[in-house]
Amino acid sequence: MIFDEVFDVLVIGAGHAGCEAASAAARLGSQTALVTINLDLIGQMSCNPAIGGIAKGHLVREMDALGGIMGRVIDRTGIQFRLLNRSRGPAVQSPRAQADRALYRKEMRRMLEATPNLHLRQGLVIDLIVENGRVHGVELQDSRRLRAQAVVVATGTFLNGLIHTGRRTYMAGRAGEPASIELAEALKRLGFPVGRLKTGTPPRLDGRSIDWDAFEPQPADERPVPFSFSTHKIEQPQITCYVGYTTNDVHDAIRANLHESPLYSGQIKGVGPRYCPSIEDKVVKFAGKDRHQLFLEPEGHDTNEVYLNGFSTSLPAELQQELVHLIPGLEESRIIRPGYAIEYDYVDPRELTPYLETVRIKGLFHAGQINGTTGYEEAGCQGLIAGINAALSLQGREPLRLKREESYIGVLIDDLITQGVDEPYRIFTSRAEFRLALRYDNADTRLQSYGRDLGLIGDSDWDRFNSRRDRIALLRTALDRTRYKRSDAVYASLSHTLGIDLGDSITLSQLAQRPNVSPHLIKELLPPFIQTEIDITDLESALADSLYKGYIEAQRVTFNRLNQHDTLIIPSDFNYRAISGLSHEMVERLERSQPRTFGHARRTPGLTPAALSTLLIQLNLQKQAA
Amino acid sequence: MPTNADTIVALSTPQGRSGIGVIRLSGPNALAITRALVQEKDFSPQPNHASLKNILAPKSVEILDQALITYFKAPHSFTGEDVIELSCHGSPVLLRYLIDVILALDARAAGPGEFTLRALAHGRLNLSQAEAVRDLIDAQTHAAVRQAARQLKGELSARLQPIKDTLLEIIVPLESSLEFVEDDLPEIAADQLYQKLSSLARRIDTLAATFRSGRLLKDGLKVTLAGRPNVGKSSIFNGLLSLDRAIVTEIPGTTRDSLSELVSLNGVPVLLTDTAGVRSSDDKIESLGVERARRAIADADLVMAVLDGSRPLTPEDEEMLAEVRDFVHLIALNKSDLATFDANMAARVIDGASKVIIISARTGAGLDDLRAAILEPFASTEIHESGLLITDARHFDLLRRTQEALLSSGELLKLRASEELILVGLYDALRFLGQITGETTPDDVLSRIFATFCIGK
Repeated sequence: MIFDEVFDVLVIGAGHAGCEAASAAARLGSQTALVTINLDLIGQMSCNPAIGGIAKGHLVREMDALGGIMGRVIDRTGIQFRLLNRSRGPAVQSPRAQADRALYRKEMRRMLEATPNLHLRQGLVIDLIVENGRVHGVELQDSRRLRAQAVVVATGTFLNGLIHTGRRTYMAGRAGEPASIELAEALKRLGFPVGRLKTGTPPRLDGRSIDWDAFEPQPADERPVPFSFSTHKIEQPQITCYVGYTTNDVHDAIRANLHESPLYSGQIKGVGPRYCPSIEDKVVKFAGKDRHQLFLEPEGHDTNEVYLNGFSTSLPAELQQELVHLIPGLEESRIIRPGYAIEYDYVDPRELTPYLETVRIKGLFHAGQINGTTGYEEAGCQGLIAGINAALSLQGREPLRLKREESYIGVLIDDLITQGVDEPYRIFTSRAEFRLALRYDNADTRLQSYGRDLGLIGDSDWDRFNSRRDRIALLRTALDRTRYKRSDAVYASLSHTLGIDLGDSITLSQLAQRPNVSPHLIKELLPPFIQTEIDITDLESALADSLYKGYIEAQRVTFNRLNQHDTLIIPSDFNYRAISGLSHEMVERLERSQPRTFGHARRTPGLTPAALSTLLIQLNLQKQAA
Repeated sequence: MPTNADTIVALSTPQGRSGIGVIRLSGPNALAITRALVQEKDFSPQPNHASLKNILAPKSVEILDQALITYFKAPHSFTGEDVIELSCHGSPVLLRYLIDVILALDARAAGPGEFTLRALAHGRLNLSQAEAVRDLIDAQTHAAVRQAARQLKGELSARLQPIKDTLLEIIVPLESSLEFVEDDLPEIAADQLYQKLSSLARRIDTLAATFRSGRLLKDGLKVTLAGRPNVGKSSIFNGLLSLDRAIVTEIPGTTRDSLSELVSLNGVPVLLTDTAGVRSSDDKIESLGVERARRAIADADLVMAVLDGSRPLTPEDEEMLAEVRDFVHLIALNKSDLATFDANMAARVIDGASKVIIISARTGAGLDDLRAAILEPFASTEIHESGLLITDARHFDLLRRTQEALLSSGELLKLRASEELILVGLYDALRFLGQITGETTPDDVLSRIFATFCIGK
């Protein structure tokens, strides 16, 4: 076969998954092509112009520790940074930032173009070139053929994308962009099990037509917490967002027009995310609620566009305008872009290995919404893992797999490949068994050495990480050793301020675990020679380590007890077909993955709990018989 | 569910001569095998109905047996597969031959517990129900059968479900306040949550406490009778048994060996062991018996010291009393029907710590008191009441862990600790409860949150 160009790795789609995949593969030394339908829309935020949030911010930090780029790009283009859950424990705090949508695109493209070995190509992929169960490249709509031994599919909502506004539908990947139809058919032809999901987006308003005084301002943090460990300072001027509410008038009008909604007329078949419901859904499912919260989020410094967060809808465009007028403060407002719902194809992620390679076709990787996820951060981290593993596999290196116990990325991928999805999958902190150990502020301690070993973390970042680690260790020692006794002058005032007895003596580590003790108070109590050099971020990390230490240890004991069978060895000649009650599908999955222990079997993609208990009982019976 | 399982067969009634023997088949070939047995290609029994059929020897017209055939169609059967039950005449020879014929027809002999295993694999039973099947088969008394049957019906799971639901009601607001910080959620009423948590811990405690009785029902008690010869141990033994098992004579030392018999006391299986009289003796055989008696005393959950109340205490009696004092014990003061019986006699020699029951093994007077006194140190009278009991040590352990986890979360809630810490114990509790029924429910919480609150910017 004749190819027009030859690459090592080829990435289809330049959204959040595709950009990470291409950047990582190229920096690992693979000649990498990033193919996109429209080069001007690289790194486009299709929906909400924001990165991060609870658990999502953790993902961005983890990507950054591994050498991903999302954190750096948002740090340079974020116009409102806020650390969420500031009043709660450090494990459940997470950064969030709103981006200047256009700046984000521009900065992402600039970073990619500055990356050696990375080649941007505009084109629409219509087919995968597959021979003997291995991918060899792609074919474009303009008849060019590009060769690559590893291909990452990161097509977002473009696969057979179908947009709904009211009863009107049309094929599109995003409003105004063509859908990817032939590629979707090619995947089906290759035998991939394909399903349908749905998501939606709210209308964008003209900021000049909004009565801003009717809304409650939500300012940015005074001390913005960046996403990237390498970011020293947030340079972008920070803006204010606004909070408002719907009223019963709005709800009544929506109810009266439900027949116009493709969600309720049966026109939409795909399953949408429950945690990101449309305004129609909110009104119907929570009929007793007399108001729903809305956020007005300016889309950038140089635009009038304002994102009406919380008002995702697929009602007809003219009706959207009428509904918006019923919202207090938006009586005169004009919609610039109407909201819409979009249905798209996804491929069952139980088809994937933990490296995000498909089991069916060697060299083919899937990342992002094609795997049934939602969210830029969820997409980005899959792109990063897929891109890394695509390059590693061609270089004959050990693939990268992150464990559930050490990262949200590990949790996300493990959930996808073992459970599959029945609605768009979003990360939550509650999905992690060890949420107390997986903090946004210790993502570097958890993962940076992997990034370094891969070759994605440069010397200066590595040096900074090491010195931060040393500083935290020093602080931890100081916290354990600094002790205040009843006889000390400070003790009495401390005990008085906190309103509790502190015992005969107390170390700062112990004191920090008491309620209402802030890191700033602890800082003042440290020996003066340390105080002068303290970075409060380091101190917070050191304190968080000691706060959770006991819990994490106890949790590990419980966890190990619950998983005590994990070390049970499965003989290499074990005959799954001889186990009655195991379906063909389960036997095939087990034979394919060849688990060495019950623990491996437990993490085998797509195994049901019933199949696992059957397997466990059989293993125990055989062990007894032996 | 498509299955590649083969068809298994086993005799479902005990081995040995009996009125009927039931052969059970489970698997995709069950019906085809039955058709071959009755030599009717189109035999299509109506599910859940019995039909009387002749079973013929292979390739012959010889009638082997007339059997009642019941067909349970998949998935509406015990195992979730096609099941056939053949009720045949209970001749061991016939049954063995029939099973050989079936084995030759593409079936396999079932391993121990394999029918239950298939039921588990097909989701027809959950883990606690499967355990109940085992208990039901092993049950030794009516009360134990009743308990196992309740658990099989899913009563334990049903009892745990509202507990799990309440636990989720506590988890959901805490979790959503963490995950959906930007949503317009109601404030958490910490005091109310604490109340809920405490009452939940009490419910678990109540359930766990039934294990004392439940364990008795399942595992039973070992009770050893001790006393010098001729005080009436064998008569008491027989009185409790209501059967003439031991030889009762007036000659001292007739009962040489330990003799054990299982008896149901208020539904509790009690293994009664009668010992040879504890008496120093040169007689070789008898001293062997004495040694065995000492061991039976040491092994027992309770020792019943038997005294003859119609005669003064002998040094041997006192030696025996000294010996049993270190064990859980009671004293049966026998022969209350005799004129020389002196109820105060015991009081003079025995300290107040021992419980004394006055009986007459000959007339049966006081035997009911004795039965109650045997059970008293181990359980209250709950056994007779019809409440659900925890009978499995695994379940008990998990309930206790659940309770501990809830209490530790309660403490943190009181201290107004951050939600992620309070939730640690709550999730542990949820996991422990899930372990009892074998269901793990990580997605339960998120589903609840979405059902309870309107989430989403």
